Amino acid sequence: MTLLIGALIIGLILSLLALGVLVSFRIFSMPDITTDGSITLGASIAAILLVKGVNPIFATAAGALGGAAAGAVTGILHTKFKINSLLAGILVMTALYSVNLHVMGRSNVPLMQATTVASYGEKLGEWLAGGKTIHIFGWPVGAADAAVLFLALLFTSAAGAAMFAFFRTQLGTAMRATGDNPQMIRALGANVELNIILGLALSNGFVALAGALLAQYQGFADAQMGIGMVVWGLASVIIGEALTGTRSLGLTIVGTIMGSVLFRLLVAIALRWGLNPNDLKLITALFVFAALVLPGFLDRFKPRPTSAT
Amino acid sequence: MLALSGIRKTFNPGTVNEVRALQGVDLTIEPGSFVIVLGMNGSGKSTLLNAVAGSFYVDEGSIRLANHDVTKWPEHKRAKLIGRVFQNPFSGTAPTMSIAENFALASRRGHARGLGWALSPHLMKPLRERIATLKMGLEGRLDNAIGSLSGGQRQALTLLMATWLKPELLLLDEHTAALDPKSADQVIQLSDEVIQRDKLTTLMVTHSMQQAVSLGDRIIMMHRGRVLHDIRGAEKKRLRPEDLLDRFDEVRRRELLDESAAAMLNELYI
Repeated sequence: MTLLIGALIIGLILSLLALGVLVSFRIFSMPDITTDGSITLGASIAAILLVKGVNPIFATAAGALGGAAAGAVTGILHTKFKINSLLAGILVMTALYSVNLHVMGRSNVPLMQATTVASYGEKLGEWLAGGKTIHIFGWPVGAADAAVLFLALLFTSAAGAAMFAFFRTQLGTAMRATGDNPQMIRALGANVELNIILGLALSNGFVALAGALLAQYQGFADAQMGIGMVVWGLASVIIGEALTGTRSLGLTIVGTIMGSVLFRLLVAIALRWGLNPNDLKLITALFVFAALVLPGFLDRFKPRPTSAT
Repeated sequence: MLALSGIRKTFNPGTVNEVRALQGVDLTIEPGSFVIVLGMNGSGKSTLLNAVAGSFYVDEGSIRLANHDVTKWPEHKRAKLIGRVFQNPFSGTAPTMSIAENFALASRRGHARGLGWALSPHLMKPLRERIATLKMGLEGRLDNAIGSLSGGQRQALTLLMATWLKPELLLLDEHTAALDPKSADQVIQLSDEVIQRDKLTTLMVTHSMQQAVSLGDRIIMMHRGRVLHDIRGAEKKRLRPEDLLDRFDEVRRRELLDESAAAMLNELYI
């Protein structure tokens, strides 16, 4: 049960990453590898502030802002300096590796002693339950874990709703149109370059927020924690699209959150069944490969309606 | 009013692909005037429209529009004054977004885009009424993705979007060339209606002689990046398609003359 709750919590936290990837990959059609660096940046900034005793909420917000700045840099490299979007992301991701080491001062910052948002949640849970364990459907569950899960669910839902609302505002719809048809929205007076910079900042802000929360939940920030995270986000987005379809933005956002949680659960089960953790990134990459290629491949075998002659 | 003076533009200067697209265009268009732009392929008519819209900056010359010198304005800033419909019906709309959202975007042309809701109630009512006048049955499908519509429907909607806020200048770049004849007729009729009703200053590029004689109050014929003929007033009213074809023939003879003259000069001096 603890394993299940742990997987759900991490899945929910990483759904913020998946929402960030949804913005860059689906709304702007720009696979943005900055993600791998900005999730670690969010974790590093939050961790180092927490160790210094800063309020966890401020530390988390600072981490998210750091990620947004990194995304803006990628956007500027791409739009103002005309660097290919993939390469711009690679450059910023590579640079961030050094930045993150400088922020943390070493390659790993443990947070066991620090007060984090996770410890807020745990205290809240024990205070509400009046003890260390509660029973859900007859199962004994740590009150602390249950409270953290509940808070994660609440926070993720709020973040998803905020993103949905934003993309229905004047600015948000202009951003969607920027990804959909830049020529059209330029002719309607929107600054396409600025919209791309803002969009990548938003995307990486979500990613870094996930990093800051993940560091606090798992109890450390690590320079290596970002490796392969963009592919993880893509996998979540793709599973989400399979679950809810892409007919509307709201469904896509809900699907992405569900996709992230489901993917984390599948991984937890696979690991439990004896999957070698070293193979995890390989399998994630293969999964995304299959999800990208299979639909087109299957189409070839579909019987086509023959045209009337 | 639109005033172009001494507009020059060369693409890829100093390379084998050098194209002198505009070679000194002077043109003044009075407010409310509906100008048809004709010319053979490569004569510079689309380049002229793009220069006005700001798709690129001109090498020389100045562009004034509605008492602003817009020569150095970027494209998105000029959009405050200009409504555009492109040749490709897919260019003017955001395909995955709904009809209503596309119009919401158009209703902010030239205005700051903030955190207010895009789909405001005081947009929806006039929008539904206006789209109903198209008689395409689209007023009940405002939430459908615009990408699911036909080219003709999309082009009609693009025209309404471009003129939703009255532009100082409307640019139509062969906007019916990619449509089937019936849709093209509908869109042309709609264009004429909107232009007459709002007295829009308009530049319209077309290849159709029929459209050129039946629409507008002035014809400009471009050749090799310059304005070759400027037909207006009573002469424009009298004009028949045959007269235009004659002028095109004249242009064609000029082309031949240029080539044969070059060949002759070659023989004599080289």
